[in-house]
Amino acid sequence: MMTETFSVLGKSHVRKDAIEKAKGDAKFVPDIQLPKMLHAKYLRSPHAHARIKKIDTSKAEALPGVKCVLTHKNVPKKHPMRKLEFWMDETVHHPGEEVAAVAALTPQIAEEALKLIDMEYEVLPAIIDPEEAIKPGAPLAHQDYGSNIWNNTPIVNVPRLDEDGWLRLEVGDVEKGFSEADVIVEGNLNTPMQYNCSPMPRSAICEWAGDKLTCWADTQLPLYLLRDLSASLEMPQSNIRVIASHAVGGYGGKSPEKTASLTALMAKRTGRPVKSVFSRAEDFIGTHHRIEYRNYNKIGVKKDGTITAIYSKILANWGSDTVVHYVCQSSVILGACSMLYKYQNAKAETFGVLTNILGYGAMNGFGDPEGIFSIERFMDEAAEKIDMDPLEFRLQNCMRYGDRAMEYEQVMNGPVEWGIVGPDLDSFPELIEECAAKSQWKEKWKGWRTPMAVEGDKRRGIGVAIGMHHASFWPASAIVKMTQDGAATVLSGAVEMGQGYGTATAQVVAECLGIKYEDVSVILADTGAAPAAIGNVASSGTSSPMNAVKIAAEDAKRQLFELAAPRLKATPEDLEARDCSIYVKGTSNAVPIADICFTNWQITGTGNNPPYHAIRDPKTGKVIHAYAAAVTVVEIEVDTKTGKIELLQITSGHDTGRSINPIMVENQIDLGLVMACGWVLMEEYKIDPKTGVLLNPNLLDYKLTTFLDMPDSEHFNRVVSERPSAWGPFGAKGFSETAMTALGPAIANAVYNATGTRVYCGSMVPENILHELESRNKEA
Amino acid sequence: MSRQEIVLNVNGFDYELKVDVMATLVDVLRDELGLTGTKIMCNEGVCGACTVLLDGTPALSCMMPAINGEGKKIETIEGLANPNTGDLHPIQEAFVERSGMQCGVCTPGMILTAKAFLEENPDPTEDDVREALSGNLCRCGNYNRITECVLMSAENIESRNS
Repeated sequence: MMTETFSVLGKSHVRKDAIEKAKGDAKFVPDIQLPKMLHAKYLRSPHAHARIKKIDTSKAEALPGVKCVLTHKNVPKKHPMRKLEFWMDETVHHPGEEVAAVAALTPQIAEEALKLIDMEYEVLPAIIDPEEAIKPGAPLAHQDYGSNIWNNTPIVNVPRLDEDGWLRLEVGDVEKGFSEADVIVEGNLNTPMQYNCSPMPRSAICEWAGDKLTCWADTQLPLYLLRDLSASLEMPQSNIRVIASHAVGGYGGKSPEKTASLTALMAKRTGRPVKSVFSRAEDFIGTHHRIEYRNYNKIGVKKDGTITAIYSKILANWGSDTVVHYVCQSSVILGACSMLYKYQNAKAETFGVLTNILGYGAMNGFGDPEGIFSIERFMDEAAEKIDMDPLEFRLQNCMRYGDRAMEYEQVMNGPVEWGIVGPDLDSFPELIEECAAKSQWKEKWKGWRTPMAVEGDKRRGIGVAIGMHHASFWPASAIVKMTQDGAATVLSGAVEMGQGYGTATAQVVAECLGIKYEDVSVILADTGAAPAAIGNVASSGTSSPMNAVKIAAEDAKRQLFELAAPRLKATPEDLEARDCSIYVKGTSNAVPIADICFTNWQITGTGNNPPYHAIRDPKTGKVIHAYAAAVTVVEIEVDTKTGKIELLQITSGHDTGRSINPIMVENQIDLGLVMACGWVLMEEYKIDPKTGVLLNPNLLDYKLTTFLDMPDSEHFNRVVSERPSAWGPFGAKGFSETAMTALGPAIANAVYNATGTRVYCGSMVPENILHELESRNKEA
Repeated sequence: MSRQEIVLNVNGFDYELKVDVMATLVDVLRDELGLTGTKIMCNEGVCGACTVLLDGTPALSCMMPAINGEGKKIETIEGLANPNTGDLHPIQEAFVERSGMQCGVCTPGMILTAKAFLEENPDPTEDDVREALSGNLCRCGNYNRITECVLMSAENIESRNS
């Protein structure tokens, strides 16, 4: 049984990085200066699709201070890891693609040199609209690819992809399900792109010592970057050290880009360290983002609220290239097939379209916000058609412990085998009820088509939606070294980028070893020093690498017990660690941990996260899947004259597993909610439909959520359920991305309550809301 | 590119510099003086991350030529802690104690904006704080926590002064 009393866990200890961040001492990659360092800048294509006819770099090379110029002519041909991404190529496939790189003594000289590069392009037909792209005879986004629909390749091997490039998932009998339904709702709905907008644009520094490369990278995936650098530079991984200990919130986006490879090559050619720091505009146009999905959904329900069938067809506009391909898309179709509701019959079909715009990357929620937005919006309509309270409808149908479940890896790679939902998602009913109580749903929900209040042009409404995201469970290893004074040093390959991994990890180790939080130091994300972990993506940090750290700490504790046992005249089984000492259980007979370590400086614990399938349900023996649940109730005011939506109150419930550090848990919830607010209400990519050029690559025209766009503390209710998870350390788990999933559709449902108008677009910026209101008025 | 000799008073020290007339204050602070606590997020005057205080007033150092900083008292995040004792400023203390940061990029700008604001308005309401900081963006969405930290530091400053 898990012990319920903790001395370090569950307390909001000061973040390990708090003081340095508050003092401005925290160093990020752009803050690092090395002797003799050069600065790199990149020339980018103005065209969506073009062939470089001429590229003359002689004037740039002659500029004093310029040390290296790279173009497609003097770099290796193809990036061997990916089908579509090259080092730099003779053909460009989206506006913003790199065509040349310059390394110079100062950033200013490098910028100046870019202007001296003489370019001549042969502009090729570009395809911008994904629906045009799949019509016969449409120009090809990549001429050498042969199709605008992504197919299988030996490089991106997706075993379950059909011949035609579609990924399909079907369970039960959807046709039968629809024939049994009393009511069917259906329609098209688009969810918009989103820019990760890390506060720190992409950056990397590379330095060689002989044949050894060190790369300081702002990445959340150091292990993937190591692999990419090794493959692109054709050198052993053991000769490369990726240090990602200065990373900044990537929100999914800080996966390897070709920048690190280009920087490494320039460093190699010049024999000097080279630094690349993107401008904000470059970060907008030269990286990968959340993409647009065009969904068709159909849902069948019975009058008693039973869901009989769910069908989704999803077109994904991958843009010109991808770093996540069907991995992300599988999440979308699982979300669309619905990991939210119990069902017997479901079918989802999806395919990826190549176009000549920005590429496809990971972003907070990884497909779930997109799939869930659509499902939750149509579920609401289904509840309305059978005249059932939308909250009751969700309470009746939501997933619970033991319901069958699948993971995206099974969807993508097969075999499609059902596991079951672990005890985690049993929190849905509890969260729905608590959110209902806290938001005063019963008083405020006045029935379908009845707004909360109407005053002139302003209409108030309330809406609810549920959401979920997986907490990934992946291989990872870790080391916990005892120091001679009885403190501990953790070595973990995971990344601290703001989410609090280092702090929570130290808490877990202190709890495990019975030592003080202050006595644990954490060394992270250095592939040359720390054992392997992929990095921090897919809400895996707590469930995977931190779990490996816990196992390593247990291993160190076991060694401490073995050494303490003879001194305490007891067996290791009779011992416990607390208050910086090893005690014989239930006695005051103890030896300080520092005393043991002083003469035994070799104590080193190692830990490996168990394989995924090791986690089985004790009741059924089936593989169980870790998900985190979210429920959001939102009150809004719609100005029907301007189309502007104001958030009046948010009540957001989260199943976080055991909370290691409550303040950090709340901060991560807030992150998802604020980012979701931006995604659906403000942030909007404006891409020229003819040229594919991004028209607003700056933070003035691409609007982020501010202090004033969110409700104040009185109207911002967080509900946390700490149901212990089967995965992470002490029952903790990854949950952060879940916060991104439910707010968007809750707002869409509240818009309907306020205005009687259903939205068919995930982007509810004022002009889209006005458009929806006007179309409805025309219909009426 | 023409260069100009200037004296910049940063955190109480006079730095004699020769800078490009086009160089922004943030670039000079970071690249010439090594004061990398001032962060660049948008570099176009929108996000507030590069905020420094000029004679106590918040200014966006990415939008300002460094030469215009001459004759002003420039305060960066590095100058906030007590230079003699190393003690954190009460606003920094509140941010540390209540985790008023996640990734930490917006933090220096938030703290300096809050400092100038609390000097003008030592007893603010929550709405006052939200309004005052609304020009500073936090992509980690820590808005409610930051507001809490600023309100808490206002109380701490008041109790220390009384």
